[in-house]
Amino acid sequence: MNLTRRAALAALSVTTLALTAACGSGASSSGGGADISVGLALSTLNNPYFVELKQGAEEAAAELGVKLTVVDAQNDATNQVNQVQTFTTQGVKAIIINPVDSKQAGPAAKAAENASIPLIAVDRTVDDGKVASEVTSDNVQGGSLAAIELGRATSGGVVHLQGIPGASATRDRGFGFEQGLNSGAIKVVASQPADFDRAKGLDVTTNLLQSNPDLKGVFADNDEMALGAIKALGDRAGKDVHVVGFDGTPDGIKAVEDGTMAATIAQQPKVLGRQAVEQAVKAAKGETVQQVVSVEVKVVTKKNVAEFKK
Amino acid sequence: MAELLRAEGITKRFTGALALDGVDFAVNSGEVHVLLGENGAGKSTLVKVLAGVYRPDSGSVRVADGVNLAVIYQELTLVPELSVAENLFLGRPPRRFGVVDRARMLRDAVGLLARVGLRVDPATPVKELGIAQQQMVEIARALDLNAGVLVLDEPTAVLTDTETDRLLEIMAEIRDQGVGLVFITHHLDEIRRIADRVTVLRDGRSVGVLPAGSSVEQMIELMVGRAISEQYPRRSQEPGDVLLKVDSLTRDGRFTDVSFEVRAGEVVGIAGLVGAGRTEVVRAAFGVDHYDSGHVEVAGRRLPGGDVRAAMRAGLGLVPEDRKGQGLVLTSSVGENLGLVTLRSATRAGIVDRKRQRRHADEMATALRVKTSGLDQEVRELSGGNQQKVVIGKWLLADPRVLVLDEPTRGVDVGAKVEIYELINRMTAAGRAVLLVSSDLPEVIGMSDRIVVMAHGRVAGELPARGTTQDEVMALAVQEFSA
Amino acid sequence: MTTATARTGVDARKILSENGALGGLVVLVVALSILAPTFLSTQNLINVGVQAAVVAVLAFGSTFVIVSGGIDLSVGSVAALSAMVGAWSSAEAGLPGPVALLLGLATGVAAGLINGAMVSFGRLPAFIATLAMLSIARGLTLVVSQGTPLATPDVVTFLGSNLVPQVPLPLLIMLVFFGITGFVLSRTYAGRSMYAIGGNEEAARLSGIDVRRQKLVIYALSGLFAAVAGMLLAGRLASAGPQAAVGYELDAIAAVVIGGASLSGGVGRAFGTLVGALVLAVLRNGLNQLQVSPFWQQVVIGVVIALAVLLDTLRRRSR
Ligand SMILES: Nc1ncnc2c1ncn2[C@@H]1O[C@H](COP(=O)(O)OP(=O)(O)OP(=O)(O)O)[C@@H](O)[C@H]1O
Ligand SMILES: [Mg+2]
Repeated sequence: MNLTRRAALAALSVTTLALTAACGSGASSSGGGADISVGLALSTLNNPYFVELKQGAEEAAAELGVKLTVVDAQNDATNQVNQVQTFTTQGVKAIIINPVDSKQAGPAAKAAENASIPLIAVDRTVDDGKVASEVTSDNVQGGSLAAIELGRATSGGVVHLQGIPGASATRDRGFGFEQGLNSGAIKVVASQPADFDRAKGLDVTTNLLQSNPDLKGVFADNDEMALGAIKALGDRAGKDVHVVGFDGTPDGIKAVEDGTMAATIAQQPKVLGRQAVEQAVKAAKGETVQQVVSVEVKVVTKKNVAEFKK
Repeated sequence: MAELLRAEGITKRFTGALALDGVDFAVNSGEVHVLLGENGAGKSTLVKVLAGVYRPDSGSVRVADGVNLAVIYQELTLVPELSVAENLFLGRPPRRFGVVDRARMLRDAVGLLARVGLRVDPATPVKELGIAQQQMVEIARALDLNAGVLVLDEPTAVLTDTETDRLLEIMAEIRDQGVGLVFITHHLDEIRRIADRVTVLRDGRSVGVLPAGSSVEQMIELMVGRAISEQYPRRSQEPGDVLLKVDSLTRDGRFTDVSFEVRAGEVVGIAGLVGAGRTEVVRAAFGVDHYDSGHVEVAGRRLPGGDVRAAMRAGLGLVPEDRKGQGLVLTSSVGENLGLVTLRSATRAGIVDRKRQRRHADEMATALRVKTSGLDQEVRELSGGNQQKVVIGKWLLADPRVLVLDEPTRGVDVGAKVEIYELINRMTAAGRAVLLVSSDLPEVIGMSDRIVVMAHGRVAGELPARGTTQDEVMALAVQEFSA
Repeated sequence: MTTATARTGVDARKILSENGALGGLVVLVVALSILAPTFLSTQNLINVGVQAAVVAVLAFGSTFVIVSGGIDLSVGSVAALSAMVGAWSSAEAGLPGPVALLLGLATGVAAGLINGAMVSFGRLPAFIATLAMLSIARGLTLVVSQGTPLATPDVVTFLGSNLVPQVPLPLLIMLVFFGITGFVLSRTYAGRSMYAIGGNEEAARLSGIDVRRQKLVIYALSGLFAAVAGMLLAGRLASAGPQAAVGYELDAIAAVVIGGASLSGGVGRAFGTLVGALVLAVLRNGLNQLQVSPFWQQVVIGVVIALAVLLDTLRRRSR
């Protein structure tokens, strides 16, 4: 089964590559960096969050007048290594990697290092390899903030909807969430995976409601699952059950505005993308780069939601 | 004469059928022991019990020390994608330093094939061989096992006379070397020629053991429980209009300039050796394969080449020679298979009239005396001869204007053959026509009105059936053409 | 009275012996009722039905394909694309909801027809043709959506909600499609030719079945069913997501095979597929209720799939 899946993903990524190429992604040249081209290897585009990250990167590239090539690994780490290797042979001056998994990005980093092309990690770190700059927002901190916010909204039993088991975002956010729990009156009564998927978030929450009818809150590792949970809760969402998501996607922000979602932890994917390109261009020009760029995560609640609407 | 194998009180029950009921059976060294019985009598089941494929519900099989058993099953067991040589040595290829020794395999294969008189390149994939040639490969493989007991389940059903002669010679040879042979056939003349004794099965019971030299009448009587007055009950009549016209049909490398006509009310036989191109011609005429030049007309309307459905609409039907590969849907039931050709005509607005389909299937199963536990039985569970009846039955139900029968009575017992012949008579009496391709010369001569003889992909000549001898047909069939 | 009871007893045993997977489902339900006190409530059973609906409808479509000896790997992607086209047509193009719904369904049929054409006229192996479509349809979903979820029109959202309290439409739609599938398979020309083509394509052709045209029909049906499943999925969420239904083709195939169909063709039934889809849904529901660790859940699902098919194989062999 896994083999099939892999074959499928490989075929998928070929098409996606073709599409990306077909639609064009970089900016036309204007200004000083005309001959600089930068590669951006994304983990996936199957998620609005990364689409925004890509937009931020594209905007920055257009402003700086560099050529940006974007590829999508379809969440397959092996695939991503291949894509980074391809970049090294295409004469890009800097590579931005958004690792599928921090722990599996080593070979990709190695490929860039061998070709003496500076590597910038965005959104997720590269655990084992040399990077010129890391542009991330702190997932662990975000998890803790979520726990604190949920504790502020409610008290009693809550469930934790986890992302894909073993994925780095699942690990980090879950870890932060557990840590943040110490400070509140909430207690986790169930932790179940819903694979970052909205439909699964709906089903899993429905099922957990059966065994935990007097649930008080839900924390989901991303907004998609949180929105599924809200669907499952129906009228109860925002009234006697409070849901906290993560990512601050447009749909998530809208749910906060509507009052069905108590809060979401907004990363700023556009800022991440923009900063990454800025660092990449610096590195390409041989200027000094900032080793760690920490982009703030923000707690979005009904009070400040207006700031986040686009 | 030492006894090599003894089975006692063998009983085997399948859901819905008692296939064997307390059968005793023994094989001695240096004898050919024939198993005779109607389709579905239990012969193949007994073979599979002897070989250990089936565990009997009761009874025992004892084999003398050091004696091994080789079996040629009724259904071919070759791997179509592999070459002749690879099939011959399947599971036991000659090795050298642990790797398959291809050169030696091909060399040994040539010798084995020569022994059975099969002239093909051992590197040919088996799927490219005709069914008779495949059978010879099976035989060659079994011979090479040098078994003490060799079981042959209807090997001659798909063979022509020459090949059958060769096989019977080989059988006599190894019998004289002390091998015990079990031989199943529906051709009673073969029994006369080779059998040392005959065990007759009927409805799963052993109803008698006959000595060598028993008369054909005796065997039939014991086997079907009644005498058969006429083996080929052909009733000819005045031919009508031309229904099928094959004109200068040519497919490069396969057949050349083949022309013949079949008229309403006629049975035209096509005789010839294996490889003469008979099956190729009728397949092309029916639109299964393409042809390069010439044309085919049904009742004056010209058929587009390579279009089975157009041929069917014009009123042509074809019962293919390979029942397992081309005739039957083995995963479906007897009823489904019988209704396959009439599926379209039984459909209104996309919905099949299942009641009507079942009624017709039921009538046909009864008419052909298909031995089955019911229309819902999977067709793969039927005995070989009964499967063959199903293939014929589905076409008879469609009642085509011209029905081409390619080796229709292969594996069918003597009694059931007569029933099929009667159905052919009924068709021609109703103004239909039949084209009968058969390697069974007495059948072609006995059931046809005219015989077209083919050799090397050409029509070698045409003979009236009445009064023609087998020798006359053979004389044409072996004719050489100057290229 | 006594005779009546006796007869139902016999019937139940007959049904069980003819459907190995049903036995598996019963075992699963009994085990979960004992282990999880909340499992056997009416509400939860309704939930299971709703959760089975999407995969069941996909799997019904796949049953046609698998019975005819093919495979359709594209159903998950086609479901997502159809729902996305529907959502886009109303949310972005401003078309009326019902029109958008029809456009979405037409998208599924079109994708299926292309699959069918690649298989029958292009002579591509079904595995490859539909693998290509898996990729194409998912890619197009991304193109149409620009990577973000779109709100579904009201008709679609209605499909995913309750008809009246306690009576969810997805459950009803699943049952309706179960009926349609059973009818198509057993009563129609298309259905009967699926068995013939899957059992022996050459014999089907020589019996006058237009194999190539039937394959178009078969894959188009699969595409249509995928589109319906996509609408159900999107309707339940009131939103069509670019990442919806990823990997669902494998669930659909698993459901069909658990239901007793053979991947080599010629064998398979609507009822079996329904049971197969329910087995998967019951299992996922139960795992949540028992709060099995995420790492173990996939192991358990794999083991149950293998056991369910094994049970069926053993039953067949014992005959
Ligand atoms: N696997 C099976 N399942 C159910 N019934 C079976 C099975 N195999 C054989 N039978 C039945 O057992 C009976 C004997 O079949 P068998 O194949 O032994 O006949 P046979 O004597 O070899 O006939 P033929 O001359 O047609 O080859 C038949 O009625 C057949 O339908
Ligand atoms: Mg037999």
